[in-house]
Order: sequence, then C-alpha cells, then structure tokens
Amino acid sequence: MFFKTTEQHENLRKKIREFAEEEVKPIAFLLDQENKFPSEAIKKLAAMGMMGLPYPKKYGGAGLDIISYAIAIEELSRVDGGTGVILSAHTSLGGYPIAAYGTEEQKNKYLVPLAKGEKIGAFGLTEENAGSDAGGTETTAVLEGDYYILNGEKIFITNAGEADIYIIFAVTTPNIGIRGISAFIVEKGWKGFIFGKHYDKMGIRSSVTGELIFNDVKVPKENLLGKEGEGFKIAMSTLDGGRIGIAAQALGIAQGAYEHALEYSKERIQFGKPICQQQIVAFKLADMATKLRAARMLIYSAAELKENHEYYSMEAAMAKQYTSDVCLEIVNDALQIFGGSGYMKGMEVERAYRDAKICTIYEGTNEIQRLVISSNIIGKMPKNDSVDKISKKQPATGYRKKVIFKEGTSKERVNALVEALKEDGYDFTVGIPLDTPISKAERVVSVGLGIGEKENMKLIEDLAVQAGAAIGSSRPVAETLKYVPLNRYVGMSGQKFKGNLYVACGISGAAQHLKGIKDASTIVAININPNAKIFKNADYGIVGDLMEILPLLTAALDNGEAKKEAPPMKKMKRAVPKKVAPTWKYHVCNGCGYEYNPGVGDPEGEVNTGTLFEKLPEEWTCPACGEEKDMFIEV
Amino acid sequence: MHCVRNITEDLYWVGGNDRRLALFENIHPIPRGVSYNSYLLLDEKTVLFDTVDWSICRQFLENIKGVLGDRNLDYMVINHMEPDHAACIEEIILRYPNIKVVCTEKAFLFMNQFGFCIQDNVIEVKEGDTVSFGKHNVVFVSAPMVHWPEAMVTYDTTNGVLFSADAFGSFGALDGKLFNDEVNFDRDWIDEARRYYTNIVGKYGPHVQSLLKKASSIDIKMICPLHGPVWHNDLGYFLDKYDKWSRYEPEEKGVMIVYGTMYGNTEASANDLATRLVKKGMTNVVMYDVSNTHVSYLISETFKYSHVVLASVTYNLNIYPPMLNYLMDMRALNLQKRTFSIIENGSWAPQSGKLMRELLSNMKEMTILDNEMSVSSSMKEEDGDLMDSLADSILESMK
Repeated sequence: MFFKTTEQHENLRKKIREFAEEEVKPIAFLLDQENKFPSEAIKKLAAMGMMGLPYPKKYGGAGLDIISYAIAIEELSRVDGGTGVILSAHTSLGGYPIAAYGTEEQKNKYLVPLAKGEKIGAFGLTEENAGSDAGGTETTAVLEGDYYILNGEKIFITNAGEADIYIIFAVTTPNIGIRGISAFIVEKGWKGFIFGKHYDKMGIRSSVTGELIFNDVKVPKENLLGKEGEGFKIAMSTLDGGRIGIAAQALGIAQGAYEHALEYSKERIQFGKPICQQQIVAFKLADMATKLRAARMLIYSAAELKENHEYYSMEAAMAKQYTSDVCLEIVNDALQIFGGSGYMKGMEVERAYRDAKICTIYEGTNEIQRLVISSNIIGKMPKNDSVDKISKKQPATGYRKKVIFKEGTSKERVNALVEALKEDGYDFTVGIPLDTPISKAERVVSVGLGIGEKENMKLIEDLAVQAGAAIGSSRPVAETLKYVPLNRYVGMSGQKFKGNLYVACGISGAAQHLKGIKDASTIVAININPNAKIFKNADYGIVGDLMEILPLLTAALDNGEAKKEAPPMKKMKRAVPKKVAPTWKYHVCNGCGYEYNPGVGDPEGEVNTGTLFEKLPEEWTCPACGEEKDMFIEV
Repeated sequence: MHCVRNITEDLYWVGGNDRRLALFENIHPIPRGVSYNSYLLLDEKTVLFDTVDWSICRQFLENIKGVLGDRNLDYMVINHMEPDHAACIEEIILRYPNIKVVCTEKAFLFMNQFGFCIQDNVIEVKEGDTVSFGKHNVVFVSAPMVHWPEAMVTYDTTNGVLFSADAFGSFGALDGKLFNDEVNFDRDWIDEARRYYTNIVGKYGPHVQSLLKKASSIDIKMICPLHGPVWHNDLGYFLDKYDKWSRYEPEEKGVMIVYGTMYGNTEASANDLATRLVKKGMTNVVMYDVSNTHVSYLISETFKYSHVVLASVTYNLNIYPPMLNYLMDMRALNLQKRTFSIIENGSWAPQSGKLMRELLSNMKEMTILDNEMSVSSSMKEEDGDLMDSLADSILESMK
C-alpha cells in the first residue's frame, strides 16, 4: 500500500484551492466581521459541482469518493472555517440521511437538488435538553391522518434559515427514549416552521447558526425518513460520516494556520535571524507538521473505509477527535509564532484560533467521540437507571401552552396576543374594579420589580383598566417598594389567584410567586428577559421592554368605551396537554398475568426502558413466573 | 340425602351452596352466600367436571353417589385447581380409586403443590385435545389467567355445553334455582356477578378477551360455570357484559362519587356536587362512603360507571387510607378508560388532590378532569361557583 492521494485527488485539491484563494480569501475577514453568509461563493461552488461530491451522478452528484469530499472541506477551511462547515453540514448532514435511508421518491425530490447545489441542506437534532444525549429530545411528531404534526424547537443548527431542506428528529413514540425518535424531511417555508435567533458566535462566523421552531408544522407522511423509531440510528450513522467532514474542517483550519506561521517565521527576524531558525520555533513547526500529517492520515483512512463500505464509525470518531484536538494546539502555536501581530483582528491566525474551537464541540463533542471509541474497544458500558430515565419535569404552574409571540413588530406581537386571548373567550368590554380582592378577581394585572420607577405604575393601572382586571404584584413590589398594599401581593405566602386571566408584567417567576397562580386559567408573561422562568409557566408570552409593550397592549385592549360591569366569574378551561398515547403494545404472560411494559422494561432482567417486546432477547423469560417469551399474548 | 338437578337428560348439577362463609377468598364479603358447582355426566363412561369446596364436601359426595347409583366414576375433569373447586379431589380418588384425572400439565403440578396424592391416575391434556366418553365428545380449550394459569374450559361438541370454570360465575347461593331464567338475573344477580368478575378476574381483561375470541368460533348452547346460575338461554346478555368488562368499557354513563370523610365535611361537599349534578339533569349518580363500603363493592361499581369523583381528606399528608386502598386495588385490577374528577380536603396542607391525580395518571387511559376542588376544612357558600364548574366539567366530558 502506498499512502498517497491520487492524481485526481490532487487535481481536485488544486481546483478548490484556487477557488478558495480567489473567491473566499478576499472576503473572509469581512464575512467574519459582519457575520455574513457567503451566498455568492456557495452558488459558485454549486456551479463547480462541489455541493454533492460523494453522491452518485444519477442523483445529481459528482460521483467522487469520500476523500475528494474531505479534500474539498479541508481546502475551503484552510482559507475560512465557516465556509468549510457550510459544505460539510450541507453534504454530510443534509444529504447523507436521504442518500442512505431515503426512498427513490425522496431521493429524486430532495437529494437531487441538494447534490446539484440548487438547494442547501441542514440537520436538526440538538435541543435545549438534548445535546449529547438524544434521548432527551422533546420535539414531537404526532401522526394525524396523512400528516405528522411537528412541534418543538431545535437549537445550534448550522445553515438554519439558509438551508431549504432540513432533516429533523422528533419523538413519535414518547417515553421510550432514543428508540422512540424518528427522522423527517422538512422544507423551509412550510406553515409553522420559523427560525429563531441567529447566534452571534465566537468563530466560524461566516456560517449561519440558528434556532428552528416548529409550531404544528404539517409534515406529509411520505416525508418520514426510514421507519418510525429509526431516527436515532439514522442520526448516529449520519454523524459518523459527518465526523469525517468536521475532521477535514479542523485539518484545513490547522493547515492554513500552520502555513501562515511557517511563512511568517521565515520573514520575521529577531536576534539577527529568521525566527524559524530558533530551535524553539523550528521544533514547534516540526510538531505542527507531524500532527497535521497524522491527522490527515486518520481522516483519509476513515474516508477510505467508508468509501469501501467497511466499518468506520470508530475510525471516524478517532479522526474527528484527534484532528480537532491537535487543531487547537496548532492554531495556538501558530498564533504564538506570530506573537502580538497574530492577536490582531484581520490576521488569519486570529480567525483560525477562534474558528478552531468549535471543532472539538460539534457533531458530537470530543468527549462523545471518546465514548464512541472506548465502547468500540471495551464494549457498551452498562446503563444505570438514572441515565435511562427520561425526566419529565412539570412547570410549577402545571401544564401551560408556552406560546411566545416572536414574529413581527412589537405591535404585531401584542395584537397576536390579544387575538389569542379573545379566541380563548376573554371579553374585554367588561371589567372589575382595580381593588377587587385577588382571591375573588377574575383577572389580575400583576407587577414585578421589572417595572422600575414608581411613576411607571401608571402603565400598570392603565393596562388593568383596559384588561378589565384588578392589580396585583410580586412580593418585593408590595413589601420593599410599597407600590401596592401588602394584601395585594400574589404568592404562596400572599394572595392566591384562582381566577381566569393573570398578566405578569416584569415578574421573573420565583417559585413562591408561581405557587400563588397555579390555578389561573391563563397566564400571560411580559418580560424583557427571554430566559425568565415565568415564560416556562405561561400560556402566552411577549419578550420585550415593559415601557414599550404595556402601552401597546393597553391600546390594543381599549375599545374606546368604559368597561361594563363584569358578570359573575365563570371559571375558564385551562390548556390541557395533548395526550400522547403510547404507540407500543403491551404483552401479558399466560403463566401469571405479568404485564410487560416497554415504558418500564425489565430492570431485573437487565432490559432497558424502551425495549419493545419484539426486541426482547429470545432467552428472556417472564420475571414473575419464568415462562418463556412465547407464552405472552399481545394486549 | 342427595340434592341435585338435571341440566340435560344425562348431565347433572351435583354441587352445593355455602351460606356460612363470611369472606370469599377470605377477603370479599358474600352476604348472599356462594354456590360451588360441579357437574356429573352419565355417558358410556361417567365423568365428573371439577369438585367443590371442602365446606360442602359431604353433600357433594352424597350427590355423586345419588346420581351414580351402582355405577363407578371413570373420569374427573379438573378445569381449575383453585381449592374452592379442587379441595375434594383426594376425597374422590379415595372413594373411586380407578378414576382418571384429566387436567392440564400445570394443574397437575398444582395438585402436587397443594399436596393431593393422585400418583399416575392423571391424563394430561392441552389445547385442542379431545376425549370421547361414548356419546359425548369433548374438546379442551386452555384459558390461561382466567384467572389462574392452569385453567382450561371443556366444550362438549355433542350438545354444545361449555364447562367454563370460573368464567361466567357469580357470587350468591342458588336457593334451589339453577338456570339463568329461573332468576331475575338483571335485577337480582348482575351486581353480584359483576362484583365476582371485577374483583376476581378483573385484572386479566386481555386473557378474557383471548378466551372470548376462542369462544366466538364455537357454537355454545349452554354455559356451566363453577359458581352461580347455569346459562341455557340469553347467552348474548352475559357475553356482552364480559366483553365490556374485559375491555374495561363502562356499562353506563353515570357518576360514582366515592368520598373519604372524617367529620362529615368532605361528605357534605360530595353531597353538594351530587345535588348539582342531579339538578343539572344527570340523575345516574351514586355515592359511597369509602370507609364503610367494602372495596369489592367499590371496584364493582367503578367497572360499571363511566365517571368517578374522588373526594378525599388529607391524612398524614397523604390520601385517606381507605381511599388509598381503593385506588391501589383499582390499579391492581388494571381498571382503565374512566373519567375522574377530584375533590380534596385539608385543614392545613391539602395534599390528597395532587396525590390522587398522580396515582390516577399512572393508570392506563384514565382522563382526569382539570377542574379540581380544594376544600379548606369545609365547603363554604363562596365555593359554590367552583363546585358548579366542577359539575359542569363532568357533564361536558359526558357529551
């Protein structure tokens, strides 16, 4: 065997390097500074046929091997790490799942435009509570007729907003962990699919990273990728391949930094000679070059294994983990060689230093890579219960809708809120006196420390009048600020609100306060801090400045007439969680009536939660009476 | 003196009644007693189907002797090994030493476990095996977990008689009657039949469904259970009840209010709710004091009605113990598909509502209505609106 790339590989490298040097390098600093997506460059890459390198020509790809693909990412990253990851996420994460698991129809509809670069792809697995542990996935897809109804949020998604085609992972069978996850192909522009914030990142700033929000998105049944429950498998095998891409990205970033450092060390003269002739610098460069070569070999060999359809999961993890780890060392040394100059904005090594860090984090942290590698060597570690249990934490106020109005101007968001309240049956032509006792009030506008100066209380009073509500407060507003009498603060130790509408203005949502409003039919939260606990305990929320939102809300509720006296309160219905019945089957034992519940598994028999009856090992026997598996009947 | 009844010309009921036993299985009260049914077939061979409880063994032996006359007893089919039917096996073998015992493998295992000495007089049968006794041919159908694992039923293909073991049984002594149409079953027996099924077999709905499926493929003319009346017409009535019970579907739209009260305050809230429900037009309302109603009655009624209101005081920061016992029993018996409303009471730290909600939410397909009433010591006039909306939410959920 001869450890060398082919002539074709090197021709491809030359082609992409030329492109990167000419098209990306001149604008790289600008993209970095302005957090800008290189749309033009990506279009040109598509025209060059670079957006589907490893996919067959039949599906619009270039029909090249995995090394070619790795070289493409390496060369783009050598100039700009962000551009590299755009290609990597598009090709490996957006395209691979369809290429590997898609039906012929799905391939023709989605893989072809992706591979041709007419459309950009992305991959949505990570969530707030599901990072390294996909078992925490909370996005749900419920089959209703011909559609799956998708609800949830994804975070840290590369190409969010720029991509047209998204591979989204969602729970179709709740409570069984990773075995209940399925994969879907979701298109940009579908109703209810919106993009949240665009992150302001430390590095790879030319790539776009954002949130995906799914609100009752109707996904046609035929967009299920693979079978139900195969999501985790699809995600993992996709990430296996994706790791080659990220490893190549890290390699490129390190290669670029190394080349700059090498060049600079030959030019920079100190103590009468180029610093590269100082042994300490020379040895640094030697180490950098060695690490680069080792990393490159790891990557190319994993790529070759994949190309030849051999097992490559461990090798890809090794390549990703090692390359990204040494990449950090190399960019660090490169910047050190540059000295103070390297610390300046606009210097490539400075950008490389920032771009590098993400490579040890995404597509599986390097800790997860080590988990993959070690379980390949040692075998799967036994799971303990606490790891496998899916925590189901309920907010303090019980189930809430948690609809946060994010779209449009402040005025539009306020109007959307008022519409939603009217839809729920609130009549804003009637009202109750501002001093109605809290426990008897049908509606309360409540004020928290977020209100600031006492003169701002006017805003609260105006809003309460137009909302037809009494005024309440959080404990400190009554106790410390004394803006309202002490008998008007709401909470565990204060008054309990049992009416219908509770509008929390500038209230962060301390546990003791939440306990006082758990019986409210509807909770509305207005707060400037999007992470305030109150939002997790509210049916509706607007993130914004009280000084701006309150007058808008007051105006939106004002019908120009004095409020009529409210009729006696009728308690309104609270939101109820959509009951998701488990789709699995129970089985009962003919020998004793023991019921096997996949949601519980069989802890004594070392059967993990989420194991379906069909997946139980043949030698498994009833834990209660010892009958064999074939003595069970389906319920 | 023997006391038997003819079922067909060659099939006899040779069982008896026990009116002295206070608690069936030493747990369920049986104020109306219970019958232990055993059947004797006089064909070319003589065949006894199951025996009886030890308490009436003497009567039983006289009955057999009276029917057999000088004939010997050739076979004894044991469909079910529970001692209220199997206690007299050894007594029969002692008197008829050449008898062959026909049963499943597991029943034979249990005989040994209970200490009956039958040695090699046994014929082990399994699902689908047949035996001919002369004119009559029977086929054995396994009925695992209805409600024991060894259970089988025996179907006489010659005349369509099904010896159904504990399935289709009922509490209650027979008082000289034997057939379903000799009693007013729907008036006098259904409650005890339900209480028997739900408490004894209730947990094993899926197994009963499996047996009903098998039964639907054969032409049953008569059902001979081990307790209660023999069914020789209107079989559909009882099969339908069994189908509902084993699918955990309620029989009636109605509200069962179960309250746990210490000084009558929780009871007063329950009364208030019941009154509101009836005034609003839902008259099918029943109320039970959980402290003085045996849980077997509560379970039986819970299988009957679609809606249940639980009203409980808080006791040691927990659910009132008799209420907790009722809920634990409900869970053990696998009850499903009911709609619940919750009223809690507490004077300093009401907890029972939350805890009952938790318990119920861990059961299958239970709907717990959102409206919840928390009474502080006693219900006041101003709580009326909340109680009214609780009643409305129940009525709304019945639509």
